[in-house]
Amino acid sequence: MVVGLREFAHRTGNGSGTPVLDESNGEELMRVQPSVAVALGNRSLESPGTLYITSRKLIWLSDVDMAKGYAVDFLSISLHAVSRDPEAYSSPCIYTQIEVEDDEDEEDESDTQSTGALDLSKIREMRLVPSDSTHLDTLFDVFCECAELNPEPIEQEEEEGEHNWVFSADQMVVGGGAEEDGEWPISQSPTSVIGLSIGDEGGLAQPMLELQINDQRFDDAEEMVHESETKDH
Amino acid sequence: MLFFSYFKDLVGQEVTVELKNDLAIRGTLHSVDQYLNIKLENTRVVDQDKFPHMLSVRNCFIRGSVVRYVQLPPDGVDVDLLHDAARREARGA
Repeated sequence: MVVGLREFAHRTGNGSGTPVLDESNGEELMRVQPSVAVALGNRSLESPGTLYITSRKLIWLSDVDMAKGYAVDFLSISLHAVSRDPEAYSSPCIYTQIEVEDDEDEEDESDTQSTGALDLSKIREMRLVPSDSTHLDTLFDVFCECAELNPEPIEQEEEEGEHNWVFSADQMVVGGGAEEDGEWPISQSPTSVIGLSIGDEGGLAQPMLELQINDQRFDDAEEMVHESETKDH
Repeated sequence: MLFFSYFKDLVGQEVTVELKNDLAIRGTLHSVDQYLNIKLENTRVVDQDKFPHMLSVRNCFIRGSVVRYVQLPPDGVDVDLLHDAARREARGA
């Protein structure tokens, strides 16, 4: 999975110039929107082009330069919105924010490399301007649908038993049982009180698996500002 | 599922969503899904000087995985109830 915006020029050779999709990954074309211009970051609008919305990513292909195109996975699109405010941008557009690879000290907001070439992977904003702005709401909805199709991939979860959340002090469990028999110096004779819950009926007969001391005498003392214990003996 | 249900109940209220990239967006909660993707309406950026590019947009879809905080109306939260519900949910998980 590629984070961020990248170049994309993989078109089918049948002359239609449509992008090649990754069918093995279940990628499908959801919508084709011709006459869409793209503006990356602060750069000027690039057109004419066609927007291809697939179930996995956005692809913009130039209509005139067959080698020019951009793609970004929906997994990398942090947010998208319909922007109609002329003060925000001259044309009504779909505004998107793109997540970029986390570099350590990214103080330099510039998206041009030292050579002056555009570093697409650092582009954080992209605007898509359809020539016909009545398409904006539909495009927004398709973006939403596709975003919903691309939730965060689920990592291999640990087994439930290993995920040891602790909720309170009285939940502390000391693992015992067969494998740790030799380690505990405490005998299991009825005279041994350590490790047995006070008031634990039948506890004497049980192997010591848990250290559960529910007696409030063992709780931390409450802070008392003016201790009024008698001091004279 | 707890917070999915919780946010569903908050639909229609004003919230401020702070993203992991520090952008904070205020708007009316329109909808939420199981991934906690959030749709806001009538959005505006909280600190406009820091983020001039996104002045005001009509509708906005925020990917759940990029949300850092969702700031809620103070009187829209029953803290004790939420606290207990969260504990129960975590225990049951």
